[in-house]
This record gives sequence, structure tokens and C-alpha cells, in this order.
Amino acid sequence: MASTEIHRYLRVGERRIALDPEGYLVDLDDWAPEVATALAAEEGRTLSDEHWEIITVLRDFYARFEMAPAMRPLVKAVGQALGPDKGRSLHLMKLFPDSPAKVAARLAGLPKPANCL
Amino acid sequence: MESQDAPRGDLLVILRHPPHGTSWLRDGLDAALVAAAFGQSVSLLFQGDGVLALHPGQGSGALGQKGTAATLEMLGMYDIEALFVDADALARLELAADALMLSAEPVDATRTAAMIAAHRLVLVF
Amino acid sequence: MILHILNRAPGTSLVYRDALAGMGPEDRLLLIEDGVLGALPAQVRHFTPVLDRLFALREDLAARGLEGHCDATVQVVDVDGFVELTEEADKTVSWF
Repeated sequence: MASTEIHRYLRVGERRIALDPEGYLVDLDDWAPEVATALAAEEGRTLSDEHWEIITVLRDFYARFEMAPAMRPLVKAVGQALGPDKGRSLHLMKLFPDSPAKVAARLAGLPKPANCL
Repeated sequence: MESQDAPRGDLLVILRHPPHGTSWLRDGLDAALVAAAFGQSVSLLFQGDGVLALHPGQGSGALGQKGTAATLEMLGMYDIEALFVDADALARLELAADALMLSAEPVDATRTAAMIAAHRLVLVF
Repeated sequence: MILHILNRAPGTSLVYRDALAGMGPEDRLLLIEDGVLGALPAQVRHFTPVLDRLFALREDLAARGLEGHCDATVQVVDVDGFVELTEEADKTVSWF
């Protein structure tokens, strides 16, 4: 779930974006592509087209189901939207190492996925 | 007990509470999603007033609280496809099995015991 | 054998009907908390299909002043007996 606790601010151009202790947006409406770019830059990542298409899948998922997906449903949603070659956990692990469901949800401006450890 | 005919699985979640009044329905769905996210095969049985969870046209609460309809729409993404609905409860509420928001197989009370026996774990919400 | 546990009184909630429908021929039913009201002679008829497999928790009866008022068919168990019933069961299902 989205936390309401403001831990720090992320500077994006003129805007200051409130982040919770785990780096998720406090106000989900703050999200814009530049926010994702800035969040990624903090971790030393540059977002490629392949990252962006996953971020779009995640935002569509949230708009439809009001919840951030765990890994399995994320893989399924990516497969449905982008085809079987990309709907594989390996592809997501490569783009968003460590924990794709959590990392990608954070960049996409979603709450932390509730159903994954 | 004709349990060999009953739908089998790791977890059967029985949902007995209607949307919005309490958090039981949401809690039950959360339990089902967690189990499915970890690769367990999950069946859902909507029973009693819980069948209202499947009624079409639900919205958010009076204070804007999220409902459970979007979560139900999401079940397929978690590969939760085994949905069953208590036929007696539908009849009591004068709801039609073919007019629900998701396709669920109507089951009468004589099949419940076999379903419970055929799942490794049963949680009632 | 599955141990079914019911904590609602038959006069308050219809959940007992679904619990009974969910019981196989070997399964047992344990009444706890407000469920123990179902063990009274005036209420026990609701559990007719499982009278030979009906249990009630002593501590919950005693707390309500109902110990000694149960129908003769009901087997009264204490918390240790509850644990034994659980150990003998393949799984438990709680109805509420």
C-alpha cells in the first residue's frame, strides 16, 4: 500500500516530489515520465524503450485493477501486452534487477505490491 | 463422498461476507492472491451473502472507499480460474448465475463437503 | 476426518447451515464461543445430522454459566480436548 509518511523529497526540475521510506511516491498523482527518469537516475539507471514499455504495462494494470501486481501476474500482463518473448521473468530481471515487481512499480508510480515478499 | 469428482487444489477460500460492510471479503481475496502469487492452486467458493461480491455494477463506498470488484477482475491475472458460487444463496437473493460479473460455476450444498475434502487447506472469510 | 469449528449461535447466524453442508460423514463439529449456545437442549436440533460428532468447549460453556446445561448428546471437551481433536484431524475449517 502507498505509505503516507514523507521520508524525503526528490527534485524533478522545479518540483519536489515526496517519497516514502522505501522510495515510493507518497502522492501517486505526482507521477510523470520525468519522475520515473529521476528515480531511475538516482540508482544510476537510464530508462530504455524496453523499460518504458514495462512501465506502461504496469500503469495500465493499476488503472484497471487498482493494485500493483506481484511478479507472476506482472509476467502474465507483460506477456499479454508485449508478447511471449517479453512475458518472461528473465526479461524483467534483466531490466529491473533484484525484485522487478517492486522496482518497476516504484518507477511506474504505483504503490508497493502488497502480495509479494 | 465423491471427492474424486470435486475440484481439487492447494487452497480453497470460502468467501461468506458481502462487499463493503466489513473487510472480510477483501481479506479473503488477499489471502487467495498471496497463495496464487506463490504458485499455489487456489479455488474460490462464494457462499451465503458473499455471492454479492459477484454482482455486477458495484462501485466505491459512500466515503470513497475502494470496492472489491477490481480485485475480482484481477483474479485471472493471478491464474485463479476455479470460481464456484453457492446456488442456494443465489436463489435466496434472486440473483441469476448467468448475470454475474465473472463466470462462476453454481454448486449446490451437497457438493461443498467434497470440495472441502479435496483441498489441502481451507480458509473461511 | 476434518474438524469444523463454529463460533456463532444458531439463533444469530445461519452460518451453521453452511458448516453442516460442508461436513463429510466422518467429520466432527466443535462449538466454541457463542457457538456453544447450539449445545443447549432447546437449540441442539439444529445439529441433528451430526449429533454423534458434536462437541462443545467447556471453558466457553462455563463462562456463560451453561456448563451442566448442555444436551446429553453433546460431548464437552476442555482446551486440551480441543487440541487433541485438532491433532486427530487432517485439517480444520473455522466457520464464523
